[in-house]
Amino acid sequence: MIDPAYVSGLSAILFTIGLWGAFSRKNAIVVLMCIELMLNAVNLQFVAAAALWGDVTGWVYAIFAIAIAAGEVAIGLAIFLSMYGQHETISLDEVDLLKH
Amino acid sequence: MSGSIILEYALLIPLLPMMAFPVILFLGKMFNGTPGWINKTKEGGLIALPVMGASLILSIWLIIDSLHGTSGTTLFTWFESSWWDPATGAITTKVFNVGIYIDHLTIMLLFVASFLCFLINVFSIGYMNTDPINDNRNHRFYAEFVLFCSGMLGMVLADSFIWLFIFWELMGLCSYLLIGFYYERPSAAYAAKKAFLTTRVGDVFLIIGLVMLWNLFDGHLDYAYVFNPQNIAAVDAGSLQLALGMMFIGAIGKSAQFPLHVWLPDAMEGPTPVSALIHAATMVNAGLYLVARMFPFFAATPIGSMSTLAIIIAFIGGITAIMAALIAFVQMDLKKVLAYSTMSQLAYIFTGLGAAMWLANNGHMEAATIALGAALFHLFNHAMAKGMLFMAAGSVIHEMHHAHHEVHHHDHSDDDHSANDEDDDFDAQSMENMGGLASRMPITATAMFFGSMSIIGIPFIGGFWSKEGIIAKTWEVAFLEPSFFIPALFILCGAGMTGFYMSRMWLMTFAGKPKTEVASHVVEKTAWIPIPLVVLTFMTLTAFIWAGLEVTGWLGDYDSGHFHGFLSGILYEFKHIFLNHDITLLLLTYVAIGLSMILGPLYAMKLYGGRLEEGQKALPWMGWFINLSGRVNENSDFDNSAWANSSLTKSLHKRLHFDDVYDAAMLKIVVGCANLAALFDTKIIDGVIRGIETTAQDASTKVRSLTTGSARDYIMMAALGTLLIFGLLWGVA
Repeated sequence: MIDPAYVSGLSAILFTIGLWGAFSRKNAIVVLMCIELMLNAVNLQFVAAAALWGDVTGWVYAIFAIAIAAGEVAIGLAIFLSMYGQHETISLDEVDLLKH
Repeated sequence: MSGSIILEYALLIPLLPMMAFPVILFLGKMFNGTPGWINKTKEGGLIALPVMGASLILSIWLIIDSLHGTSGTTLFTWFESSWWDPATGAITTKVFNVGIYIDHLTIMLLFVASFLCFLINVFSIGYMNTDPINDNRNHRFYAEFVLFCSGMLGMVLADSFIWLFIFWELMGLCSYLLIGFYYERPSAAYAAKKAFLTTRVGDVFLIIGLVMLWNLFDGHLDYAYVFNPQNIAAVDAGSLQLALGMMFIGAIGKSAQFPLHVWLPDAMEGPTPVSALIHAATMVNAGLYLVARMFPFFAATPIGSMSTLAIIIAFIGGITAIMAALIAFVQMDLKKVLAYSTMSQLAYIFTGLGAAMWLANNGHMEAATIALGAALFHLFNHAMAKGMLFMAAGSVIHEMHHAHHEVHHHDHSDDDHSANDEDDDFDAQSMENMGGLASRMPITATAMFFGSMSIIGIPFIGGFWSKEGIIAKTWEVAFLEPSFFIPALFILCGAGMTGFYMSRMWLMTFAGKPKTEVASHVVEKTAWIPIPLVVLTFMTLTAFIWAGLEVTGWLGDYDSGHFHGFLSGILYEFKHIFLNHDITLLLLTYVAIGLSMILGPLYAMKLYGGRLEEGQKALPWMGWFINLSGRVNENSDFDNSAWANSSLTKSLHKRLHFDDVYDAAMLKIVVGCANLAALFDTKIIDGVIRGIETTAQDASTKVRSLTTGSARDYIMMAALGTLLIFGLLWGVA
């Protein structure tokens, strides 16, 4: 069995990549992908912890997180679609309606 | 024991009709209009008939068994409910059961309900299915009809006030549906609404009463617990009286007593079988049943503690008896006369019940049970006679329609024969269009003849036995408790008034010469209709058998020990009525008989009597009466027009202005309150919401200027915020 410490490390790396991507990229879809990456990094951490403690709670949480992530993607893509319909772009730099 | 077998099936008595309800409704929806559905099942009538027959047979079986000592039982647990008391920490579990409760009251009403429902079903097949206005919607009638019967049968068999209330409301719903059967007529829709809302006023009080009773009896509403004298003795009589008073208001609404009586005459908008059902077999008896059920409370509470309620019951009865009889004087609509007569007769029963309650509460148990028995026996007699009268009235109206159709066929292209049709000014229900039908409708005339005699209380026929009992017992109470003099006097006068309006109705319909061409073309020919009329005529005429069995004694669950056999029973009743040892009561009996048998009919003859046409002959038992009425009428010097133009008559036509006053009160109070509520809604509630909305909008506009609008910054903020929370938690830990 792989040492849970390695899995935790991988999770931390993935999370950092995701966080960096979410901050720096301007394409909304890429940002969404980065958020997904962060979510899955956390899932990985859940599974690793579940394996370490021998407790199924972590697995159950991972399943819940996956389900919620699926819903989130569906909503996010729908928002981008309608955003594209209105602004002809999905670049985050050009969308700042909340300001005005 | 044979009893246990029927007890397992007893639940089927209300359940069978209840199951027939969806069957008829959905089959009707599927096969509506097909020849098989119309001819083979009579649009559902022949589905309802065996179901009602089965209920009747099961009921009779149950009654026979219960006469051999079978009593009610708990059948199964409906549901359990537990609650936790925070003060003591104890968990209480309460079990709600389904069961049946059987005593003499139950079996009497069970017989009345199942027997009349069955006969009315037979009648409906003749009445509803041959009237073109009902084409393709009779399945709705039969479905609602069986549901109505199921409500009554279930209410009678219920073993707790909870179930009584559930079935009570089921009846309320069905009465709404059936009164509004011709919903396309505005008057019918209005009448249905009125009936539903008026009884609803009573029902609100009923449920308040039930909640109070629930509190008093520590969460019990099942009869076995609340009727136990020890449990009643543990309860504060004053609170109990208040609770029962609330329930009594519910009974007033259901049984159409003053001041909640306004719905009953309008309920005539429903088809005639529905009138028979509501007035004789089910609905109005429910209120009486509820009050009669309260009897054990009065018997077990301290002496005199509940006299007030008994007096109120008797007063409501007395007032309604005389008021309804007065209004019935001037009604021209055949069914409306009967409607007011129902109100008046129910009021007699209420007065009798009030007397029974008073006697029971003041330690005269033997007299109380006889008074209760007399009141219930009057319920029985009235149900049989009134069911018959309504069906006979239906028969008259039905044949009038047909005759009208034949006479005026050429100038009517539409095939709508409804009685209150706007573009057809002929009113088939109005007695002004009838007359001289005795020879043309012999079976109907006979049924109505004996039915009216039973309601009037002509000696030896039907209601006589019970009405005399009620009047005598009420007067007996009046000598003990002076305030009973008023209701006692009212119902004594009411006896004479009954004699007048019932004779008037019969004479206007059946005696004299036909007042319209239509009436001279009436023929009695519709199948199915005469069957219940003949059966019920027989039932009315054989009431003396019940009297001979001293039914007034055992209906009150009281074994007098006097009963030695049928003949001696009859003799006992005779002696009791005609040769009473108490000279005052004896005098009263003869006054009551004189008023109802001689004075009332005599005035009716003077005003409305008349011989039949030349060549027309009525059956011998009616012929003498018609000839007598003709002779009295010819020698009468009574001025009809003075009476017709008096202000009393005018206000009687307006139903003593009750409807006007209620309407005005509704307009002033309800509409006023509604306007206030609307003001409150628009100004205060909407104002608050709008205020919150504008404040939030203003605040957000101001906050908006602080932000960048870029999604990236928001993600950053969220991340930093999370980090901050974690940092804080770390610090705390």
